[in-house]
Amino acid sequence: MSTINWLFEINFAIFAVFLALFISELMGGVLLLVAYDATKAKVLPYIVPIWEVTGTFAAFWVVTADFAYPSMLVPVATLLAGLILVFLILIVVRNAAISFAELILKGGRISEKRLYQLYGLATVGIGVVVLIVLSAIVSGAGVTLATLNFSLWGWATASGSLPYLLGVLLIAVGLAPVFYNVEALRRITVPFTVAGVAVETGALYLYSSSFIGPAFLIPALFTIVVPLLYQFRLTAPIVYQKLVFALVGAIIVFSLSYLVYPTAFNGALPVDAVTTSGPMVGAFYILTAAGIVVVGLLSVLFLVVVWRAKQARVPPAGPARPQVPVAHGP
Amino acid sequence: MSTIVDFDRFLFAFTIGSHILIVSLSIGMAIMICISEFLFARTRNKYYGGLVRRLIRPFIVAFGIGTASGIVMAVELVNLFPVFMKLVSSTGVIAIFYVEIFAFFLETIFLVVYVYYGDTFKGRYTRWVLTVPIVVGTLLSAVLIVMVNAWMNTPNGFDIGAYVASGSITGVNPWAPFLTASTGYEVFHVVASVPLTGVMLLGGFFAYRYVRSGSADEKALFLNGLRVAVALSLVLVVLSILAGALEIDGLWKYQPLKYAAIELNPVPGNNLPWTFFGTVSGTSVVGGIQIPGLQGFLEGGKTMPGLSQFPQSEWPPLIIHETFGVMLLGGALLGVFVIGYAALWFAKKKPFDHPILAYAFLAFSALTAIVMELGWMTDELGRQPWIVYNVLTVASAANYNSSLYGPGIVIILAYLFLVPFTFWFMDRVFRGKPIAVDLAGPAGGEDVNY
Repeated sequence: MSTINWLFEINFAIFAVFLALFISELMGGVLLLVAYDATKAKVLPYIVPIWEVTGTFAAFWVVTADFAYPSMLVPVATLLAGLILVFLILIVVRNAAISFAELILKGGRISEKRLYQLYGLATVGIGVVVLIVLSAIVSGAGVTLATLNFSLWGWATASGSLPYLLGVLLIAVGLAPVFYNVEALRRITVPFTVAGVAVETGALYLYSSSFIGPAFLIPALFTIVVPLLYQFRLTAPIVYQKLVFALVGAIIVFSLSYLVYPTAFNGALPVDAVTTSGPMVGAFYILTAAGIVVVGLLSVLFLVVVWRAKQARVPPAGPARPQVPVAHGP
Repeated sequence: MSTIVDFDRFLFAFTIGSHILIVSLSIGMAIMICISEFLFARTRNKYYGGLVRRLIRPFIVAFGIGTASGIVMAVELVNLFPVFMKLVSSTGVIAIFYVEIFAFFLETIFLVVYVYYGDTFKGRYTRWVLTVPIVVGTLLSAVLIVMVNAWMNTPNGFDIGAYVASGSITGVNPWAPFLTASTGYEVFHVVASVPLTGVMLLGGFFAYRYVRSGSADEKALFLNGLRVAVALSLVLVVLSILAGALEIDGLWKYQPLKYAAIELNPVPGNNLPWTFFGTVSGTSVVGGIQIPGLQGFLEGGKTMPGLSQFPQSEWPPLIIHETFGVMLLGGALLGVFVIGYAALWFAKKKPFDHPILAYAFLAFSALTAIVMELGWMTDELGRQPWIVYNVLTVASAANYNSSLYGPGIVIILAYLFLVPFTFWFMDRVFRGKPIAVDLAGPAGGEDVNY
């Protein structure tokens, strides 16, 4: 009887939360690129306070991955060196663009619109890099493990790769109006999401028929149900509730863990064999338990504050001073 | 092969050199915001409120760019030095990185709550309370990353002999790296000197803007900021001098080769001179200025290590003697300036009204940043050729994949543009709104573009 690899499960759970948050940003980035003026009022109040939290979850996942799979660091760095640096360039562009956009003065040569769209473009770019890395780890496309070589051309010419990217893009476009409750785009949500799931199914099948089974079909059905619920006045508020959407998103991503466990790179790498062992396992559990308490409490604080702000009908505000009487003089 | 190693080394050094510049300013601003919020809540002096409002805007920028460069550094460590990160991740050092993530969460969540939702809190001291975890999280992040650096200088927590002999990682104690032989020295030094850099940079900016401004309100605001900056700098500069002296003592104990190189001691001895500049030729120092017996006097007559005790192949680049000397001289001048400026203020001589002293403050604030960068260079170059002292060389730890060149060069070019632009942009947004708006502005909502 096999035992559960808790290090893998914890690391993948953190990854699922990060990816759910990142996808929510990605959808916003797509909307800012294609319909900035029509959607900014819905997209920016969500993205502006949350983008740093997404970045923190990314760092959280990277560190737990380092902790859980130390023997994989040399192969990963050798395999994906160039791609990882491209990812870093895009991270710098993303953070710089949104930081400057938040505060840039009106009437200058560069407008906030251009900067927010640059943020959207960088976010989409990061999404593409992350998807390439993920699909390489899942399918082994472009990867030669024996020589620790990754070929972008080899990845792109693998039969499932481009449909895989296209499928995710279609799903992102389909779900974005749901997440941000953009009523004007309601009609496109079902066709785009269904087409995306269909293309994604085909892509995974092209990678390996073993990827298609009940464990894939259930999250795929969940994905389609979301835009369907958005069509009806009664059920729409359930799915455009951001917390619910993010939680469901994280669960869907987590349910796809079978794609890389028990083996990654399409069966070439047994995950248990590369998971850390000895006293480091105990340290991982202790720190993770403590960390979950800290992050949990902070998340509750954040949610309570957002809820209070909504109750008081105060939008997320910029830098401000407390409203108390002021005295004069330095 | 060595070209790629040098590129890895340069890329990381360039990235971290840029990162600490932005982060030290970010830490300085966090501390200034926290103190100004407290003073505003306590005194209701509108100029402290205005100062907070003005500082938050550049702080958001510094935090965003600092986060990005922090992520770049974290991922670069894996990408550029994978063998090093394998050792880190197989021992308790990764646990330090792990705890740092939670410090980062503390800082991020409270920053988001403070900046974007702070107006939902009506208590007199609530906004100040929200800034405290931001400062704690920011400083804790710095402390934890310095703990990693301390471990690189004085490694522990695994069987070092077995690793050096065979590369196998055994005898792991996951908690030991939290307290190495040099952790206390390094943490104390950084907790004093990094906030000093940030606060001095702000102090120089306030002093300069004070004499340049024609508005009475602006002058009052900058004067309040300058008062806080000078008081903080005075405390931090004294602590930095003390911490620096203790760290030298730590080097003598735990990294004698680095000590011999920064002091430029060709041979060991008891009553050695203190040398400024110069170079080693055989067993003697050529050139430079020597003060006979000073080193021996400062170190209480202990026996000082010399370079001749170590194989030349393990010597660090001796330029660290110059970086250390300039750092020491700069630090001493900085101490004299800050203490003198504070003394003039205390004696009611109004040093802030003298344009020459304002420009001097600006120059000394730049000198603080140079001193910090030189201190970091001395520490890192002084450990060469090791990445983990006496355990793992940089050459053994590096990534030899040539695909690093292209994106690496793009990162360097991006930073060359981004870092100066960020400083320029922070100045712009700090002064972006009329002073009257910042002093008596509405409760919020108009400062962020969305």
